[in-house]
Parts: sequence; C-alpha cells; structure tokens
Amino acid sequence: MTTERIGSMKIIGAAMVASLAIVALLAPWLAPHDPTAAVAATFGDPGRPSLAFPLGTDALGRDVLSRIIWGARISLSVGVAAMSLTLAVGGLIGLAAGFFGGMVDFVLMRFTDMMLTLPALLLAMALISVLRPGLLTILLVIGLVSWTQVARVVRAETLSVSQREFVVAARALGAGSARVAMRHVLPGVMPVIVVMAALGTSGTLLLDAGLSFLGLGVPPPTPSWGRMIEEATAYLRTAPWLATFPGLAIFYAVLGFNLLGYGFLAARR
Amino acid sequence: MLSYLAKRLVFGAVVLLGTSLLTFLIAFVVPADPAVAMAGAKADPQTLAVIRRQLGLDLPVYRQYLNYLDRALHGDLGRSYIRRQDVARLIVRRFPATVALAVCAMTVALVLGVAMGVAAALRHDRAADRMLLGASLLLISTPVFWLGTLLLIAGGLYLRSFPLGGFDGARSLVLPALTLGLGMAGYYARLLQANLVEVLAQDYVRAAWAKGLSGARVLLRHALPNAALPLLTVAGLDLAGLLSGVVLTETVFDWPGIGRLAYEAVFNLDIPLIMGTVLFSALLVVVANLAVDLVYVWLDPRIRPAAGV
Amino acid sequence: MPSLLFAFLLLLSGGCRRTGAVAGPANRAGVLHLAAADDIPTLDPALGYDTASWAFEQMIFDTLVRYSAGGVELRPDLATAWEASSDSRRFSFHLRRDARFSTGRPVTAGDVKYAVQRVLDPKTRSQGMAYFRNIEGARAFTRGRAADVRGIETPDPWTLVFRLRAPDPLFVEKLAMPFAAALARQEVERWGEDFARHVVGSGPFMLQEWTGGQRIVLKRNPYYFAPSRPRLQAVAESLGVSEELQWLRFEAGELDLGAIAPAEFPYVMKTPRLKALTKKIVTLSVNYLGMNCQMAPFDDRKVRRAFNYAINKQKLVALLNGRAMPARGVLPPGLPGYDPTIRGYPYDPAKARQLLAEARVPQSFRPVLWLRADPTTLMLGQSVQQDLALVGIALDLKPVAWGPLLEAVRQPRTVELFLFGWEADFPDPENFLAVLFSKKQWGANNDTFYFNPQVEALLAEAAPIADREERYRLYRQAQRIIVSDAPWVFLFHPVTYVIRQPWVHGLVLNPMRPARLDTVVVAPH
Repeated sequence: MTTERIGSMKIIGAAMVASLAIVALLAPWLAPHDPTAAVAATFGDPGRPSLAFPLGTDALGRDVLSRIIWGARISLSVGVAAMSLTLAVGGLIGLAAGFFGGMVDFVLMRFTDMMLTLPALLLAMALISVLRPGLLTILLVIGLVSWTQVARVVRAETLSVSQREFVVAARALGAGSARVAMRHVLPGVMPVIVVMAALGTSGTLLLDAGLSFLGLGVPPPTPSWGRMIEEATAYLRTAPWLATFPGLAIFYAVLGFNLLGYGFLAARR
Repeated sequence: MLSYLAKRLVFGAVVLLGTSLLTFLIAFVVPADPAVAMAGAKADPQTLAVIRRQLGLDLPVYRQYLNYLDRALHGDLGRSYIRRQDVARLIVRRFPATVALAVCAMTVALVLGVAMGVAAALRHDRAADRMLLGASLLLISTPVFWLGTLLLIAGGLYLRSFPLGGFDGARSLVLPALTLGLGMAGYYARLLQANLVEVLAQDYVRAAWAKGLSGARVLLRHALPNAALPLLTVAGLDLAGLLSGVVLTETVFDWPGIGRLAYEAVFNLDIPLIMGTVLFSALLVVVANLAVDLVYVWLDPRIRPAAGV
Repeated sequence: MPSLLFAFLLLLSGGCRRTGAVAGPANRAGVLHLAAADDIPTLDPALGYDTASWAFEQMIFDTLVRYSAGGVELRPDLATAWEASSDSRRFSFHLRRDARFSTGRPVTAGDVKYAVQRVLDPKTRSQGMAYFRNIEGARAFTRGRAADVRGIETPDPWTLVFRLRAPDPLFVEKLAMPFAAALARQEVERWGEDFARHVVGSGPFMLQEWTGGQRIVLKRNPYYFAPSRPRLQAVAESLGVSEELQWLRFEAGELDLGAIAPAEFPYVMKTPRLKALTKKIVTLSVNYLGMNCQMAPFDDRKVRRAFNYAINKQKLVALLNGRAMPARGVLPPGLPGYDPTIRGYPYDPAKARQLLAEARVPQSFRPVLWLRADPTTLMLGQSVQQDLALVGIALDLKPVAWGPLLEAVRQPRTVELFLFGWEADFPDPENFLAVLFSKKQWGANNDTFYFNPQVEALLAEAAPIADREERYRLYRQAQRIIVSDAPWVFLFHPVTYVIRQPWVHGLVLNPMRPARLDTVVVAPH
C-alpha cells in the first residue's frame, strides 16, 4: 500500500474519533435539551424533525438530537472501557502463553480455544440476564467474551519477538522472566496491541450497541444509541427518522475506530 | 493422522463438557426459582413444593448436574418454562429456518466478498482498489441490526417488494440474507485481497504471467486456490456460527430460527431453553471445527502431525 | 455444503406449497386468516395459562360450562344443567349425551374427571393445580397416596359430582377454565409429552396443522354437537408476524382480523372508514404500580397518596395510543361488583409535592422501580420517571425478566416499587381483592405486603357467601378502604382493539377470555 493512503486513513479515523470524544466530553453544553425529560407533547406519536427539534422527538416527547449527543458519552465510555479490559485480559494471557511456552502455553491456549467455541453474543446475553443489568455488568461481560482474539494475536506476536536476539540474550544473561517480559517483550508487542485497541473498540462498540438493541444494555433512561433504535422499531413506518439517526451515530463511531485500526495495520505491513 | 483426529475428538468432548458445566452454573446462580418460573405468578406454596420435587431441585448440586448431563446425553434438555415444550424438539424445529438463512447469507458473503477481493487485488494500488477496500470498510462498520432496519424500511415499506419479516418462502429470505451477508462480505473481501496480493507476488505466479498465460487463467488456476484456503477456513467456522443462530438479524426480521429462540429465552429467563441453545451452538462449532480439520487433512496431508493442535 | 443447499431448496419449495394451500384465492370464503407475533406456547389444556394458548384451547376443547359470548355469565357447554348445595361444597353436573371428540368417540363424565386428575398429578406440572386442590381427596392423590381423587364421582357416564373440603361459591367458575376441559385419555397417553402437538378435543374446531413458529390451522370438528357451529370451515393463523407487519398484511386484505400496530393507531382512529371496522372491549384486568407498605417511606400513606397524585395516567394512556382507560380503583368496569362511585386520584403534581413535604421525604431519597424488560413496560416506566422528576423524585429503573421479578417482589422488604398487572381468572371481586390485598397472600400475590385488619375482616366475611349482591356489598366496602390506603398507584385498565375486514361478521369480543370464533362468518369477497 502506498504510504500516502495509509496516512490519510489514520488521519481521517483519528479525526472522527477525536470529534466523537469532544462531543462526549461537551455533551452537557452541546445538547440543546435534557435528554430524558419530555420537551414536546408527542406521546405515543413521535414528532417530525423541525427547527426546534432538528432530529425530531420520540414517543416519550424527548429530543432525539440531545439523546444522540449524550449517547456518545455512554457509548464511548462503554466501548473504551470494555476494550481496555479485553486488552488487559487477552494481552496478559497471550503474553504469558507466548513467553513461557510449554505447559503454560498449552493450558492457556486450549482454554482460549474453548472460549472461542462458545457463542459470544449468546453467552453475553445469558450472563447479563442472569447478573444485575448495569454499566459494570456490561463492561465485564463484554470484556469476558471478547478477549480470545487478542490473546491469540498477542501470543503469536510474543513468540516471534521472544526469538529476537536481544530477548534471547537478556534471558541468557539471567534476567528475571517477568522483567524480560515487561522490559523487552512487551515493547515489541506494543504495535500489535495498538492495532487491537482500535479494532477492539469498534468491536466492543458494536457488541454494546447490539446488546442495547436487544434491551440488555445500560438501563433507561440513560440514552444509548442501540436502545434508541430498539425503541424506534415500533415506528418504522410512521417515523423512520427515529431509527436512522442513532444508527448513523453508531456507524460513524465504528467506522472511525476501524479506519484508525486498519490504518495502523496497513502501516505495519 | 488417526491419533491427530482422536486428539481433536477428545478436545471437542472436553469443550462440550466445559460448556455444559458453564451453562449449568449460569442456571444455578440465576436469581429465580425454576419452580416459580414453571408454575407461574399465581401458584401457591404447595404447588411449588410439588414441582420442586418433581424437578429434582431438592437434590445436592452435583447430583443435579449429573442428572442434567445424563439427560442431555439422551437428548433430553428439559422443558421450556415459557413454551412448555421439550427444548430439544423446539431447537430442532427452529433449525431449518436458521439453516436457510445461514446458507443464503454465506452465499451472499462469499460471492460478493470474492468478487470484491479479486477485483481489488487485480487493481492493486489503484483507485479501484482503494474504492473497493473503502467500501468493504463501510460494510464492516455498519451495525447489522441497523442495516436490517434500514433494509426493512427501504425494501419492505417503500418498495413493498419484500415481506417485512417472518419466514414465508424465498422472497422473505432476501432482506435478512443481505443484511447478514453484506458485513461478512466486507471481511472476506479484505482477507482475500491481502492473501491474493501476497500470492500474486510469488515467483511461480510471476513465472506463469511471464509464460504469457492470460490474466484470468493465472488467477483462476494458480493464485486463487492458494489464496482461498484461509478464506475457506474462516468461512467454515463462520457458517457454524451462523447456524447456531444469528440473534440480531433474526430479531430484526422476526425470523423463526434458533437465534430468535435464544433471544426469547434470555428475555424470559427461560433457563432450560438458554442452556439448550448455548449447548447446541457449542456442539455445532465443535462439529464444524472437526469438519474444517478433516478438510485440511484431506487437502494437505502434510499438515497433520505438525499442526499439533 | 451441497447437502445443506439441497435441504434449503427443499425447504423453500415446502414453504411455497404450504402458502398456496392456505391462502389460495379459491377458498377465501369460510376460512379466517389471522396472524400473531409469537408462537403459541402450547395447546395442552393442562399446561397453557396465557392468552395465546387459551385462544386455541377454547376452540379445540369443551369445558362443563363456559362464559357467554360477550359477557361473563356462565352458560352450559358439556353440562346442560348443574346444581350446587346450599353450603357450596357439593356440585353436580348433568352432561349432554351428543358431545363427541373429533375422533368420533362420545364424551363422558370420566373424560372430565380424567382431565382434572391429570392437572392434579404432579408429573404434569400444571399451573392449574391450585384451583382443584380444594376437592376432597385431591391432596392424597397429589402426594401419590391414592389412585383416584375421592371427591370426584361419576355415578353414571352423564353425571359428574364434585365434593369440596371447604365451601367455595366460585368453584363452577374454576371449571370454566381450560384446565378442566374434557380430554380423550387414549390420545393423551398415546402421544405423551407430544400430546400438545396432537391434541384431540370435542370443541367446534380440531387441529389440522401446527408448524412451530410459522403457522397453525384449525378445521371444523365434524362431530361437534351443535351442527350449525362453527360457521367457518377453518381458521389459519400465521405465527411470528410482528404487529407492524400484521397491519400491512391487513391493509393488503391478506388478514381478515388484525391487531392494530401501536404506531398506526392514531391514523386508524382518524380515518372514519377504518375506525368503523374496529371493535374494542375493556378487559377485566388492571395495571398498577405497587408500593411496599413495609418499606420506608412507603409505610406512610401520605407518600403513597403523593405518588398517586404525581403520576400522569392520561399520559400513560396516550403512550398506549388510547388502548387503556385510566383506573380509579382496583376493580375494572365490567366486573360484576364494580363500584362506579369511586373517584380515585386525579393528576395533581402540586398536591403531590405538598404531601411529600408533609411526609418529610428526605432529599436523598432515590427509589428503585422494578419492572419487566419488554419495550412497552420500559416506556411506561420511563414516563413514570419523567412524572416523578417533576415533583422532585429521582427514580431509578430496574428492568428484569419475569421470573426474577416475581421472585423478588415476594421477598419481604426487598422491592419498594414495582410495575405489575393482574388479569381476572373469574369474574368476581374476590379474584382481585382477596388475592391481592389479604395478609394470607403475603409472599404470594399480595406483593405490597399491605395489611388492614378492617379489610381482612371484610374479605373473610364475604368469601363463603353465595348470595352475589351481599358479597358485592362487602367487597365494595373493602375496595373503598384499599383505595384510600393507596398501596398501589392505580394506573389503567387495558383495552383490547381489533380491526376486521368488511366481509367478516359475527365477531364478539369477551372482556375476560379470547374470542371463541365459532360464531364468526367470512363472507365471499
């Protein structure tokens, strides 16, 4: 690939993610209305987009634009936090398996294979329904079901880094295992972790939106893009804009992280 | 080779055992009494006690698990709380709808993905390549339930050319299969393009070009078979995933398949049905893994001992 | 792959063939086409306890007695006449001799006895067990100490006698539930667990086909005792069709009767042509927000009344597109014993704020409302949340599945607020007031843990009285006290709406049960 294009992918992606982060941070100032209060009497009959409410109002009389702006906050925090958890768990397991090899590798990787076999979304749904639904539960469950890919990639990368001369030399000189892993191997694995972080966030964003769509996300009235789409499905015919705008928001966020991730990935090739 | 397959079989059995334990634990920590769930809102304490004994809930936990395992091995996954029907039969009855959707979606994904991937690889580093890869990125980034919803609005409500959900003949398959297939096509296109670019750069392909063979011929006879193997592996496992139910798409389209069944089970906390669907999908994935292994061994006998896992 | 593809092609062709057979234009008249969003849970009368199952069970099976078409008066069905002893402990039924199962075999008293015993058998795991435990010898039978229920006698094939342990003036109503429908033992035992899919009954219709999640077709039972019924040849229902899709199919003329999708409701009501085709009935049910009377601050009547004034019921009704009527008390209009003079609590946020101030509710008070996680309930919960915010109360929602919700509300001092509904099993105030407000039902159906000795005494006095007017008088007094104590926010009574095509005649809705459809006519069109 040409460097020029890789650069532009990363830059566009970074700009999209940054714009989202700004919206999320400034939500209280950017949103024209309270995202949970009834600001128009459109009960049971959603309002069309108008000057006062550019994206319309929903069946509970709430301003859709304000809800999307506040939704950025919750979606981004869930996406990023769940991704961090995914990276921490998957990264540690992959690093340990690749670095120590042998029995450790065998046990950890068989366990990973087993987790890969389980249906992620189904498992997440089952766990959330059984545990108390809430922000923390959702973070933990998303983290729990999505670390396997990270573990595999990090393990492969660790294996190749561990065979490089400076690592082999450090171990031969008798440096402690943990020290070698942290000081020498981890930095070598870092680039792939960055890629996984960007792609992982787009994955967790989609999973979170999907769970919200199924009614298993953060409980209402917290505005969440996935739930907004779910609430809009009853009005597909009479108020199609209700489902359109929150979907665009998810699409925008996921695309931003994907551009960033694939941009980094292409740069490594 | 036999010992390799035996190893894989043992691993599959271990996975299934682990899954059964996991599902049993989920059911065990659930904050609902199965007897209450089964007897409903209006039952009195005596009825509950009777049902509890009937379900064996007064036994120690390990005995309950062994009973569950024993029944599961005999194909008895219990009776659904909500549907009051045998779970195994419910799953088997819902399976054909999911098979139809999975096969169609996979066809869409492979046809479109291969076409895009090949076209992008042939036009490597040109405008067309970038456009195709950009398009694949758009497809990957679209939430499947939103795409489904938009297709419903466009194809069902405005064009009125497709049913708005449900499984009723070939026409009803179009929108859900597209919904599911488009995103996967994006992945496959990227995967194939990357592999093809690598293969096309290799000596024997260059040699073939040099011999003056036509582009299409080189591509079809030499490059594609080599580049397609990883794609087929992924697709095989994906198909198993699809067959175990596609919750979001089936929910959007009211599709009477396994995924929608699982969603209803979770929504109602219908524990036997949740356990049954999770176990069933694990079984499918294990079987698919074995099948992919077999195909590999068959295609390339050199792999067998080296692969190890 | 090839075999999968083949299976798939087979499936497609199968799907098309079936569609053609049912929806073909040739037999449009005489066949009623319906659709439903969900599959039917079961057709086994011992197992079904929900509207969808009962709708079909009622058409396929007969009970000794049943309710009048549009009302809640008991009418003969398999029994032509019945007598109750003066102490309401002995009930005898005289069966008609011309009733037959769809296999042609005559229906006898033993078939009803078998059905009731099957419900009492713990192996069946029936939810109807509680309704028949009062029969003499039922406990011994359930515990496996007797092969038969002593209190059910069949002196001859056309006579059936029930003896009860305690007086129960409402016992005949319990026999009108599908749990007590006559069953052909041979067929039940032949199919075992699979009986639900091969049901045989003596009702106006019989099962022709049931493809799980896709379609159910009933055809007329040639042996049905009333030769003029049913007036239809068949009933065909497509399953798994969302409400939105049902509406479009109705508009296209593919469905003869349809639900009205929520989003379409305003449009239907604004269009005179469509509005004229709708039918509605207020159901014998009530939706409420329960407040746990043992948990502060809801142990204070002022706070409970404040909540009643704070919540905007008209807004809830608007959210339901008018498919409900605001409740003023517990009992729904249409229930015998309903008291039209109760005024209830109007929407008055100022009064709510004043009461909350008087009760000195602390600023940090942040109650949690437990509710089911389905979209409609969540919408209602969010509306309550908005209303309470206006009187200074920050409400949290806790959406949970039905099972855990039920489990939690029954624990003492666990759930302070919850959204619930109650549907009548039989048309009597007892089925609301005694079941939902008696201390005997703590840990069962009285989930607000409400207790008032005056109410308790009135309920105990009313229960054994067979004279209706006398009972109703006592229940009216009890309801007045309950409304004034306000353990609930009395929200609304749901209203069922259906829309029919101009060629569909003879449909009668029932306030308590699904319509039986045996009087419906589909004219050529």
